[in-house]
Amino acid sequence: MKRIEVKLSLPVVAPLLDVIRQLADGLGQKLAAPQDLGDIDQEFRDAWVGDLLEGQNKDVKALLALFDDEFFAEGIVAFDEENAEPIVRACAAVRLRLREVYLKGLDDDALEGGEVELEQMSEAVRKAFMCYLFLATVQELIIQHLDSSIIES
Amino acid sequence: MTRAGPKDSSSTETISHTELKLSGVWRVVVLNDPVNLMSYVMMVFKKIFGFSETVARRHMLEVHEQGRSVVWSGLREKAEAYVYTLQQWHLTAVVESDETH
Repeated sequence: MKRIEVKLSLPVVAPLLDVIRQLADGLGQKLAAPQDLGDIDQEFRDAWVGDLLEGQNKDVKALLALFDDEFFAEGIVAFDEENAEPIVRACAAVRLRLREVYLKGLDDDALEGGEVELEQMSEAVRKAFMCYLFLATVQELIIQHLDSSIIES
Repeated sequence: MTRAGPKDSSSTETISHTELKLSGVWRVVVLNDPVNLMSYVMMVFKKIFGFSETVARRHMLEVHEQGRSVVWSGLREKAEAYVYTLQQWHLTAVVESDETH
């Protein structure tokens, strides 16, 4: 099984985890990306959203499980063919929530290009933006090293 | 992959045309969002639709530059299944009726 281990800077990443956990809690009841389900009937719609929420919650649990005792002792997180897919999806979900909750003041171009003035941000927004970048880095790492296992699974 | 003979192929085509005529053609449209990474969107397209790198990139750029891309069209039930799967990956996707058929 292909596995990658990444050593993270504890002093940098640990403070971001509170934000990630807080947003992860909010994702328990709400889809990260609101969806237009068109003209489908209510019962089908409820089942559709319910199934998406269930999958989203499982993915977010896999992301949070990365930050276990080993992470707090050594700063190491590990990605493999089993957790890569849920984690890369959970990162997308949390990033969408970060955008909605903390980063809605930034325009799309600035966010896409990463051209933002950190000094002009409040502490909460700056921390949220660091989370946003951190989760993008996790996604890039997984896509770079494990995308074939995700695509073929 | 096994290729069907001429007789089977014609019969399948007739059924398929009848089905499409009855239920119409539906399109799976992916809409742009400023959050998801280009590499992520490409990976999702490759996984779900089996697109090559080139085709996945073309659709991703269409989403990015034009705001939307039609990634699949066909029967409604299958279109809805694709939209559900895209939504599992947190892409914004909708099913639209293809009025041209």
